[in-house]
Amino acid sequence: MEREDSRFTIVKEIFPSETLSIMGSVLAGLILSLIILEFKSFPILILLIPALLSLRGNISSPFIARTAKDLIIGQFNKRNIAENILSTYLLAIITAFLIGIFTLIINIFIFKFNYFSNELFILIPLISMLFTLSLVITISILLNSVVFKFGLDPNNIIPPIMTGIGEFFNVVFFYLTLILLGVP
Amino acid sequence: MDYFIKVIKESIIVVIISSLIGILSGTFLSTNENILSTIPFILLLLPAINSLIGDISTIMISRLTTHLLIGSIPPSIKKSKRLIEDFIGLLLTILLSLAVLLIVGHIITYSTDISLVNPIEIEIIIILTIIIMFGLIFFMMFISSIFLFKRGKDPNNFLIPFITSLIDFLNPFLIIVFITIFI
Repeated sequence: MEREDSRFTIVKEIFPSETLSIMGSVLAGLILSLIILEFKSFPILILLIPALLSLRGNISSPFIARTAKDLIIGQFNKRNIAENILSTYLLAIITAFLIGIFTLIINIFIFKFNYFSNELFILIPLISMLFTLSLVITISILLNSVVFKFGLDPNNIIPPIMTGIGEFFNVVFFYLTLILLGVP
Repeated sequence: MDYFIKVIKESIIVVIISSLIGILSGTFLSTNENILSTIPFILLLLPAINSLIGDISTIMISRLTTHLLIGSIPPSIKKSKRLIEDFIGLLLTILLSLAVLLIVGHIITYSTDISLVNPIEIEIIIILTIIIMFGLIFFMMFISSIFLFKRGKDPNNFLIPFITSLIDFLNPFLIIVFITIFI
């Protein structure tokens, strides 16, 4: 699919989905400040949150871009999809584990908070990221395919929509993980 | 498993470094909590501002990668019609989206009783930050994409994780610096 997008085509395709992304992000911010603030361990959770939001973007955005690229250059097949998904999960597991370890080290040497046990520093990012990715991967493959079938460029439309959806569900799954693990 | 190995090999280091920047960002924000808590409008919009620049940068990189792959942008550092159209299109989009962001922010502020301190100065700071970040990122990503593409690497795997984390750190950093200077 080779298209010559004009500047106005770019605006027309990106702006509506970017507006959705803004709404999702603002909503995520509101939910975060309304729900997570209530936790006793909030001072240490706030240290994890930016890294987790960043990790979701770092892992899912290249996944979405690779899927769009495969569709456009005609390499969107079962094997590539499977390898794309597997590599995304593996990257998420390794990085979530490291985020937990680094946050634990920062807490031990700088903040010295004692709200929950050390293993939760690893389990919280790991479980919430796996939940979030499972949803984001499924939705983004579906959306990429549908948008491409309609002759639009997935690169322009999907990333902002998925940021809104991803940020919102990232916060929701973060909250559910805290409940699941009994974080105070 | 070539695809799998390529993705892991090209992404692992940059994703780990990016997550470390994310942790730094969290530490930076908590140490400047007093500035952010006195101007809650910034705190309310910060995740959305990060997302806005992050989204546009991701689109920019994935478009550049696709253009390089299909040959609509030559793999050399020079101006082309396609590049200029992408620059103007993305700039117009980010400015329009910023307008929406500020309007949504004001609506939420008025409906939730969040205090709005120095609204005009704050809006100028947000607009200035977005424009500076956009210009900086566009030229940095264009040059980096060509550099990586020429070496047979996929710019998507390297640049997207790197730039989104850099934005998460630079964005609050610039905003806090501007607040310190102007307010």
